[in-house]
Amino acid sequence: MTGGRRLASRRPPATLLAPATLAALVALLPLGYLVVRALSDGVGGFVDVVARDRTLALVGRSLLLAGVTTAGCLVLGVGLAYLLTRTTFPGRQLVRVLATLPLAIPSYVAAFAWLAAFPRFDGFPASALVLTLCCYPYVLLPVAAALTRTDPATEEVARSLGRNRWQTFRLVTVPEIRPAAAAGALLVALYVLSDFGAVAILRYDVFTRVIYTSYRSSFDPTPAAVLGTLLVALTVLIVWGEHRTRGRAGHSRLGTGSARRHPLVPLRRWTGPAVGAVAAVLSAALLFPLGSLAYWTARGASRQLDVGELVGAGTSTLLVAALGAVVTTALAVPVGVIAARYRGRLGALVEQASYAGHALPGIVVALSLVFFGVRYAYPIYQRTPLLVLAYVVLFLPLAVGAVRSSVAQAPPVLEDVARSLGRTPLGALRDVTLHVAGPGVAAGAALVFLTCMKELPATLLLRPTGMDTLATELWGATEVGEYGRAAPYAALLVLLAALPAVLLGWRRDQLDDGGAT
Amino acid sequence: MSELAVRDLHKSFGPVQVLRGVDLEVEAGTLAAVLGPSGCGKTTLLRVVAGFERADAGTVSIGGRVVTGVPPERRRVGIVPQEGALFPHLDVAGNVGFGLSRERRRSSRVGEVLDLVGLSDFASRMPHELSGGQQQRVALARALAPEPALVLLDEPFSALDSGLRAAVRAEVGRVLRLAGATAVLVTHDQEEALSMAVRVAVMRSGRLVQSGSPAEVYGAPADLGVATFVGDACVLRGTASGDTADCALGRVTLRRPATGAGSVVIRPEQLVVDTDDGRSGVPARVVSNEFYGHDALVHCDLRPAGSEPLVVASRRAGEVQPLAPGDAVRVVVVGSASFFAD
Amino acid sequence: MKHALRPLAAAAAVPLSFGLAACGGGSGFDEDALVIYSGRQEALVADVIDDFEAESGVDVQVRYGNTAQLAAQLIEEGERSPADVYFAQDGGALGALAKAGQLATLPDDVLGLVEEKYRSADGDWVGVSGRARVMVYDPDQLSEDEVPGSVFDLTGPEWKGKVGIAPSNASFEAFVTSIRVLEGEDKAREFLDGLAANDVQTFDNNILVLNAAEDGLISVGLINHYYWYEQVAEEGLDAVPARLKYLRNADPGALVNVAGAGVLESTDKSAEAEQFVKYLLSKDAQTYFAEETKEYPLIEGVPTAEGVPPLDTLNPPEIDLADLDTLEETLAMIQEAGLT
Repeated sequence: MTGGRRLASRRPPATLLAPATLAALVALLPLGYLVVRALSDGVGGFVDVVARDRTLALVGRSLLLAGVTTAGCLVLGVGLAYLLTRTTFPGRQLVRVLATLPLAIPSYVAAFAWLAAFPRFDGFPASALVLTLCCYPYVLLPVAAALTRTDPATEEVARSLGRNRWQTFRLVTVPEIRPAAAAGALLVALYVLSDFGAVAILRYDVFTRVIYTSYRSSFDPTPAAVLGTLLVALTVLIVWGEHRTRGRAGHSRLGTGSARRHPLVPLRRWTGPAVGAVAAVLSAALLFPLGSLAYWTARGASRQLDVGELVGAGTSTLLVAALGAVVTTALAVPVGVIAARYRGRLGALVEQASYAGHALPGIVVALSLVFFGVRYAYPIYQRTPLLVLAYVVLFLPLAVGAVRSSVAQAPPVLEDVARSLGRTPLGALRDVTLHVAGPGVAAGAALVFLTCMKELPATLLLRPTGMDTLATELWGATEVGEYGRAAPYAALLVLLAALPAVLLGWRRDQLDDGGAT
Repeated sequence: MSELAVRDLHKSFGPVQVLRGVDLEVEAGTLAAVLGPSGCGKTTLLRVVAGFERADAGTVSIGGRVVTGVPPERRRVGIVPQEGALFPHLDVAGNVGFGLSRERRRSSRVGEVLDLVGLSDFASRMPHELSGGQQQRVALARALAPEPALVLLDEPFSALDSGLRAAVRAEVGRVLRLAGATAVLVTHDQEEALSMAVRVAVMRSGRLVQSGSPAEVYGAPADLGVATFVGDACVLRGTASGDTADCALGRVTLRRPATGAGSVVIRPEQLVVDTDDGRSGVPARVVSNEFYGHDALVHCDLRPAGSEPLVVASRRAGEVQPLAPGDAVRVVVVGSASFFAD
Repeated sequence: MKHALRPLAAAAAVPLSFGLAACGGGSGFDEDALVIYSGRQEALVADVIDDFEAESGVDVQVRYGNTAQLAAQLIEEGERSPADVYFAQDGGALGALAKAGQLATLPDDVLGLVEEKYRSADGDWVGVSGRARVMVYDPDQLSEDEVPGSVFDLTGPEWKGKVGIAPSNASFEAFVTSIRVLEGEDKAREFLDGLAANDVQTFDNNILVLNAAEDGLISVGLINHYYWYEQVAEEGLDAVPARLKYLRNADPGALVNVAGAGVLESTDKSAEAEQFVKYLLSKDAQTYFAEETKEYPLIEGVPTAEGVPPLDTLNPPEIDLADLDTLEETLAMIQEAGLT
């Protein structure tokens, strides 16, 4: 096939480029705001703050935490993905759903649960552990999808050439899942860089501390915004690094795209240890924080529950998170398709721009949208559409990564066939590629959905006045120490988070049935 | 009238010239084969015709209309890629009906085409539930369903095992004829090209070097390259003088008069090998015997004692008396040979 | 045929239609409502606001958030802010808004309700409830008598590694500012450097300092008094082993600070906004703060909650809260000491 060569020579059609550019511009809004702010105040103070020894030390600590957490998430995420997609792990469908749920637990809630139970467990190890347990699904989801999509033939060839299972995994499977794992790792790294809640509670000082302190100090958004540029610079470096690990290998399957299903690796006597390990991870990541909340409910006097408020917050949460997921995914599709199908500077630029908002703390993104909303979009200021826009800025990369890696694995020849049968480029994309890539795209949407549900800083500033989400209620209760009142909100958050996971799992079951005949 | 007319097509990828002035005509309702080794540019030619690539120069006309700048979806060109490339998310009926309008999808068209390829009972199967040959036939049905002006087949049988290949090939040929389709088959397999096409175009390094009926291309190759690529050939050094040439097989008749030194090309089936009766032909010794049942390929060493080995292959129909290595034989040339001067 | 996106699309369609309906219906956004930005938590003030609505008939909408972040939002919004009233955890944030010219002067009948030292000198904002700085200690490690009588003792070697603070909290910052005002810059810097050199343990907020004292991680911590009362209300006295010590000796560690409110200059509902601020200083609202949040009422004639030592027994340092508006110098000092 001459696929790689011919793709390189094509420019993306305007019908893709226009919405992708729009998405990139939306993602660049906070950066525009930072520039406006930096120019209005001059850069002298910025240089002063950045050049301070302590600032540089904090940047180093941020990077160290991001590095260690990312490594931990890769180990947990890839390991779980393999166990739950390729082996005879008992109840793997259900466990796969459960294993994604830690995404719904705000990292500050998890951090508080750990600190409350183990007051002396703090600082770097605690922060790395808690963030790893909160973030590993970012790796698990794309890698599990990639493991199901890859062609079993290549692994079988490796086995036939005398490689054992482990060598085959290392030499064949790892390169095949590398783009997915790298995309997940990138999300973890950026999440850790922008997180403040968990590390603040666990007493590990990082760079975001400088930004938050800056708000508390002057109540002036400018210095903090200017400091945010440093995070953007770090993000650019990391995104660029991830881009390089992708390399030049195309991972689309040649041929039909209808790969056989992978035969399952029998665990036999390893079943016990495997179940034990998975149970340990799920207990630490999911049961432990939920159990803590349940314990506080039992202990706390504030446990009276206003069902109406709970239902109201649940409904609003579903609404804004679903809107966030749908709009974000819709904007991510053109960006992801261009990244997967059209190599070239323009495509890379558009894709990398989509990451601009992701490493910024939510408060910076929220204030930038306050800035733009008040000036240029007043009719939607503090209305649902602007909040949804904030989710797009914050979480676009979650969906872009999913779209890109799943479209990259859908054979381009299918689009050629569709075009020869009368479809326009967009029609071919809609009727073929997005269906073939469907599970991956849906997983991306689910990821955005989960992340929107627990988002706090932007939701606080941009939600319609008077609207409460589960995250804002949870925050409101924990802020005044009413953990008993907080628990039902956290429980509902996790319950609702299970929805997309179950939905995705259910679809997989359907496919499995189809494949049984 | 030609359904497909390609004129002086040029295409480069960066510094690499892939097509360097290709001309090709295909009569309506016939199957033409573009035959060439990998990397000769035949897939690019097909992609330009289908509209996936734009030529740097030259034109493509389909049904008398120049289609330069017309996007693939408006060319009415069906394609059958390697391994079929069925849409994995659609069942067989969904795949076949993909190129049809909503109304026609509900009409009997899908059933008709599935009938044509003999897969009526498979309409609700998913692609991964089909064998390779069935997938290929569905891919063909899918391409034929919208009644395209032209069907392009890109190495459609290369992924099939050899037993299946001949059957699927015959079946595809039959279906294309029944459908009255104009088709272009791109392949590197000369047997496939010769057996299926009414016209074979041989392509090399971005150029068409010969185009003609299978018999012409096989029997009267345009140059030594075509001669050796299309079919097995026995190539010997020789000197021509008019209607004959002298070579290791003695004096052979030439198809066209020539003079001077060059290469004599004789097809294996033109070499008759028989046990040494001491009369006609050139003496030789059997080196090996590849037995195929319907025929056999016998390799003989023509060398006079003490010189370099000179092995030629001869095709013998049904072996009455199997020849063994070491047997002394005589080789006789039947019919005329091709000659290519140096 | 199987459509990969069908369940997804179906799932999306439901909230989408909800969303459109909600947008069409105005998201419950009411142009005529009085909009309050509250840096105080819903759990602490929602009842008071409900009572105001019922009593006045004014329609109120509240945006709850973090005091500092809401201040940043208000500054970013400027003249176009939808907010009419800003209800803040601390005077510092109100002072910053006043400095930006975004707070309107309150009428004298509102200002007059509160002692001068608990409101802005220019009349831009007014204190609504008082909170006292206290020392929280672990009674397993030391008796009340052993708790130092002054915050300046905490830099002594016997407290090395045993003291907890929340240095990035507004309450701590106001406390440091009061040291600067009362004792001078040098003394304040010496104190902060002394804490840092003494391995003071830093936490993100007051609750975590309190928890650390309960868990025996620290011997003494500096917090606001009501956190302890809230935790006792939530979990019962038996579950909260830590105890409070009020210094009562005019030490900066006995500072009384306020949560307060101001009316936005950009409001078009100044009458209702002022009515609301005035309601916060009504007998009902003040009684609520005293009884429910265990804070100090700031108007005459409302008693402190039972079990909370009355304001006039606290003997806080003599300081005008309006003088605590030099926050940036304080922050620079805290940062230079390496505490944040």
